[in-house]
Amino acid sequence: MSDLLKGNFKTKNEVVAPEVAEETLEDRFERTALKRLGGSIAFVSKKKVMWEFKPKS
Amino acid sequence: MAKVLLINPTVREEDVPRHVPYGMALLAAIAIKAGHLVQVYDENAWRKGDAVTRQVLEADDWDLIGLGGITTAYGAIKKIVGMAREICPRAVITLGGGVLTSMPQDMMDFLPEVDVGVIGEAFVTFPEMLDMIDAGNRDWKKCNGTISRNAEGKLVLSPMRALIPELDVLPYPAWDLFPLEEVYFKNSESLYSEEGMMAQRRLDINGSLGCSLVCKFCFHLGIAGDMRYEEAKDGGVDVAFDRKGSYTRTIRYHSPEYIVKMVKHAYDTYKIDFIAFIDENLMTMDQYSGRTWLKEICRLWHEYGLAPKKNPDGTWTGVYWGGTSHASLCTQEILKIMREAGCSQLVYGYESFDQSVMKALGKGATPANNIRSFFWTLEAGIRPIPNQIIGFPNETFDSLRADMDAWQKLGIVVKPHFATPYPGSEWYTMYRQHILQQYKGDLERFILDLGDASKSSAIICHNFNAIELVGLRDMMMSFNWRRIDEYEKIWRINHRIPDGKPSTLYPGFAPHMTLDLPEPKLSLATAG
Repeated sequence: MSDLLKGNFKTKNEVVAPEVAEETLEDRFERTALKRLGGSIAFVSKKKVMWEFKPKS
Repeated sequence: MAKVLLINPTVREEDVPRHVPYGMALLAAIAIKAGHLVQVYDENAWRKGDAVTRQVLEADDWDLIGLGGITTAYGAIKKIVGMAREICPRAVITLGGGVLTSMPQDMMDFLPEVDVGVIGEAFVTFPEMLDMIDAGNRDWKKCNGTISRNAEGKLVLSPMRALIPELDVLPYPAWDLFPLEEVYFKNSESLYSEEGMMAQRRLDINGSLGCSLVCKFCFHLGIAGDMRYEEAKDGGVDVAFDRKGSYTRTIRYHSPEYIVKMVKHAYDTYKIDFIAFIDENLMTMDQYSGRTWLKEICRLWHEYGLAPKKNPDGTWTGVYWGGTSHASLCTQEILKIMREAGCSQLVYGYESFDQSVMKALGKGATPANNIRSFFWTLEAGIRPIPNQIIGFPNETFDSLRADMDAWQKLGIVVKPHFATPYPGSEWYTMYRQHILQQYKGDLERFILDLGDASKSSAIICHNFNAIELVGLRDMMMSFNWRRIDEYEKIWRINHRIPDGKPSTLYPGFAPHMTLDLPEPKLSLATAG
């Protein structure tokens, strides 16, 4: 029986969980900071940065 | 035997998954008991992404793929049924639960991939559908409690499904088909009491269905006798819920023996240490039973050895528990009995400490009763969880001040919900036009915007718009009386209300609620 799919019979195809990459330090930092957001706790969410962004001149 | 895949869609992504979907677990148990082949994919628990959901859909030749949930699961449901239709073109896709029941015609229009919707209670409808699948019959209009499409693609409602009269005929939920050890027990903590916080192996149970109260914000899922089929303006049939002057209720509860034996089963099988009753309101059931139900549950809790005993290290044997109470219906006697049996926390929908707001709400409670129950519960040794809402239709500066005054005197620390017109509630029926106006006439946008009411969505307050309510909530939480007084002066100027007159437009409307839009046209056929 698959761990992800639980039931009373065996399915034709097994469901395989993808390898989960361990949380990076960057992800851990941003997740932890988000919980305490406010005041001087502010941060750059690096994956959301629009690198091509140019302010209007 | 039908090959069934049940998928629990992702909901409340901002939090970890905490609750086994009780209705789905019951339906899985019913289907297995009837001899069908059942698999459950708890997408909400696993949160493994679309690639895994696709694998699940490809795992077998499903006869039926069933989804359900509350309205806020709509976004996930929409995504899953799209994938299901593409990967499993032969399977019957069905949707049930509050998301479908609250607005069956709209949902079937939004989700053309869904073949058949289950309206209201599915305990009989669902196994009947599986029997029809086994018989090769897809004529859903012959199955009561469904909505489907005819050959021309027109929506067809079958006759309304009657509620089952006796809840004790239900099997225990199929908890073992959900990832208890992998996910749910790890998220047992509930921050409602010390014992709730320390819980390591919590399960939810439901001891009753229904509620005798008529709170305007509440939706009873069509399983509390709250649903009616009425003749629509176009001559078809419409599904209707509470509205002023038209309330209907059917109250049902499990016997105390059933409940406590089920908890004992869970204690012996899964080694649980905490039970959260997810009943709409334990106290309304107790009152309906003639004040016997909770007493007997507590007596049996002791008799079955479930009353908790604390160890020196803070752990315990037995099972602590919590649920929902009501300010006017609780008694000192029952609260004391409940505490002795291990009740550690009770949610009270105090909602407001303003008399005029409470009177308009239909809750059968007053600010005075709120305060009385607050002290009774504390004195019994149970933590009252004092839920609050702001943004009621008739909310004013004075009613907000009444809330703040009570919070200060009672030591209440709270971030109030915003009054939200969830589909199926009386507010939704009353304010549908105003809701559509706030979403440019796009109902689906409103549904996708709905969350758990801690953020603003459609506003139904006649006096304050969303931005005002967010700001006022912030000022209230920091007890900034001065800022609120100052803003009231500005608000009076903006709305041309002189000093000395009440600071309200009610029953009139502020600009954010005044644009009138025509009702969308829906056509619906009636099953012959």
